[in-house]
Amino acid sequence: MESLVTVTERAGWGHDLQNEYRRIVELARRPVSLVEIGAALAVPVAVARVLVSDLVDGGFLDVHAPEPAFADGRPTTAVLTRLLEGLRAR
Amino acid sequence: MRADDRGKRSERSGPIPLKIVVAGGFGVGKTTLVQSVSEIAPLSTDEPITVASVGVDDLRAVPDKTTTTVALDFGRISVGDSLVLYLFGTPGQDRFWFVWDELVRGAVGAVVLVDLRRIADSFPAVDYFESRDLPFVVAVNAFPGADRFHPAAVHDALRLRADVPVVPMDARVRSSCLSTIIRLVEHALDRSNVVRFPRSFSR
Repeated sequence: MESLVTVTERAGWGHDLQNEYRRIVELARRPVSLVEIGAALAVPVAVARVLVSDLVDGGFLDVHAPEPAFADGRPTTAVLTRLLEGLRAR
Repeated sequence: MRADDRGKRSERSGPIPLKIVVAGGFGVGKTTLVQSVSEIAPLSTDEPITVASVGVDDLRAVPDKTTTTVALDFGRISVGDSLVLYLFGTPGQDRFWFVWDELVRGAVGAVVLVDLRRIADSFPAVDYFESRDLPFVVAVNAFPGADRFHPAAVHDALRLRADVPVVPMDARVRSSCLSTIIRLVEHALDRSNVVRFPRSFSR
């Protein structure tokens, strides 16, 4: 539910998208998570996931695959270290 | 040309989403914590939940399942350009633990909030995260009387593992919440080092 999506170049071509789809494309100009999309559209995450996957299939959105950041289902030591440094710098 | 290529690749890999789960009893300050540290106005989604009817002997008589919704609060902290940290406030009730299962998958760890006047309310969360082997810290929220608490006493009362940090926190104060989150990440790092390396390399 925290998976991030962003628009592809194709999304900038002004296609005739339905309202919900267009709102998602607008939201995804910056990386945005499924759960944020769900909240913005007032739909459950499962619904946001379906709408997003339609847009991914259509080539309008990319889903970021964070796989290398995780090992055994947990963030890696390298990622945790970056997180810690970033939080301390705030 | 090369710069273009590199730009594209980094765009594709994008920021890494991370998450922390905030748990504890009803009214213990979970939503306040999320509000204090989030850079966006905290959001909420109503998640539909399908619950098989409980306590009904003959399931064939009720082929339909009961659907209800549970509100999920969350906030967001951008950490540099490459990391986005989400905070999820869990629905308080034990019976929504199956929601937690998706929340804790891949999580950095959890903050268990404690109100010293109702310490037992935090038992279920502690048990849950221990059973999932998820790193967590216990944060004693600054309700009246919390200023004179003894971490060791909280440790004993919640029967925590020796390495679980217990910290004081004021959920209304951003810097206090950030300190708690930093302590959690430190703890998660310690835990991942212990797993990753032979004991002799860990502190």
